[in-house]
Amino acid sequence: MAAILEPYIYEGGVHKHSLITELLEDLGGYLIQKVPAATEVTLVMLIPRDDVHLIEELGKKLLGKLTRAPLTGTEIAVVSPTLASHHLPHSACDVAEHLRRSGANTNMLGLARGMGRRVSLSDNYERKLINEHDLAVFSFGTFRDCIIHKKPKLLEGVTVPKVVTGGPLDIKTEDIANADIYAGGIGRVAHRLRKSGELDSLDAMSEKVFEVVEKMREDLAKDPLAVLPARVMKEIHEQIPEIFDVLSPAPVTLQLDGLRVKLPYEQFHEKVENLEFDEGVRLSDMAAITLSKMKDYILVKIKRKSEVGFTA
Amino acid sequence: MEALETFIVESTVPEEGDAYKSIVADIITELVLGGAIGRIKVLVRPEESLYLMAIILRGGQPTVKLSDIASVEIGDLTKKEVRISITEEKYLPELLELLWARYGRAKVFQPERRTLVMNAEDTSAEIDFLKDMVVADPKRTLQSRLVEMAIRATPEGFRVRYHSMDPHKFVFVASEDIIKPEWIQEANEMTTELMEEK
Repeated sequence: MAAILEPYIYEGGVHKHSLITELLEDLGGYLIQKVPAATEVTLVMLIPRDDVHLIEELGKKLLGKLTRAPLTGTEIAVVSPTLASHHLPHSACDVAEHLRRSGANTNMLGLARGMGRRVSLSDNYERKLINEHDLAVFSFGTFRDCIIHKKPKLLEGVTVPKVVTGGPLDIKTEDIANADIYAGGIGRVAHRLRKSGELDSLDAMSEKVFEVVEKMREDLAKDPLAVLPARVMKEIHEQIPEIFDVLSPAPVTLQLDGLRVKLPYEQFHEKVENLEFDEGVRLSDMAAITLSKMKDYILVKIKRKSEVGFTA
Repeated sequence: MEALETFIVESTVPEEGDAYKSIVADIITELVLGGAIGRIKVLVRPEESLYLMAIILRGGQPTVKLSDIASVEIGDLTKKEVRISITEEKYLPELLELLWARYGRAKVFQPERRTLVMNAEDTSAEIDFLKDMVVADPKRTLQSRLVEMAIRATPEGFRVRYHSMDPHKFVFVASEDIIKPEWIQEANEMTTELMEEK
């Protein structure tokens, strides 16, 4: 793997923003997502570490802002007990929005029967869907008794790291069976989280998610992936033009160890398997390509170097 | 009795009671129940999967007549105009519905945000009628709003519910399990306590 890539978000005007994307391409970085909104544009990108200052200078000239986005290239499931108005849109959507500001792609997931104490359940299909993500953030509500004694059964069977949010500030992560980290101050609310105390709790939650992601990245670095997900994304853009017809905001969603391609599996899985790389290998040599539990999308999980024997 | 003169939310852990109070307060605001509720007490015991709520309603929220929210006058005499100048804009949608039904949509003019103009043959009789017209009746929607509030405020899993309502009070018990008779009794006692409070 050549240069070390750093995740950044650029926010600025649409005017001349293509200069940034062109420079990024010249530097060998990757544009992960582009979200135009009227006259503004948000670019999520991976920039080679030594060249960040070049983009920063150009961004300044265009009166835009470049900020580090530690969650870039992660897909996070924000899980709420159900989709009822008791849990949504606040605070689960506020959590998701906060994570997106740090560069993550989030999916909201409402369980079918997650509400209550004794009666709360998760389905096998739901657990499999959550396990397709890099990590999951669960909202467990206001009551200490529920968070510690009743709700943790929703975490069973979820193999990805689990962040639990709840109201009480003094619960320790060890008290919640199966949880990887607990973030307090985000219980059930019926209004948008915008008071300073509430925003502080969201910031603290993001910090904890950063820690988890950082640790996952370190683990990955020990036995690196056979190919960078961002590079696969670039190849998909070049070799499967149909991806540009997809209306979803992130047609190719990056994960730490793979990607979700939002094209129908039946029609396109062979094209994805046969993606060619300059080194003369195909994607199917380096990754497992399966039908995603989310709609009929394609899920690509890239294998490690130790398994494949080479890196592209 | 003033609006919301007693507003207590209790839980096993006091801080959780405070957090829950903000939820209940938000829901009361959302459903515009602030004026209808005199006293309210909520008790949540998560370890027993129990939610109790007792509400004393404020007697007689009067119906809103057009003369309460607007002045009705003669506009241009030669054109036989009736002019309504609205002081409380909150009821405008209901009022417009009523006027459209009476005159037809094209015949109610709104030259400006707070002014409505119509034509009538006998202007003074029309003005007398309009002044007494009932624009909104909070009582009619009160029950449905109270039930909605109870369902929204209860933790979602507590699907076994008991409620009783009369014109002055609303008692609500919800749990995940079969409701014990002593819980209903406790809720009734809570209501009596609230009633006797001075």
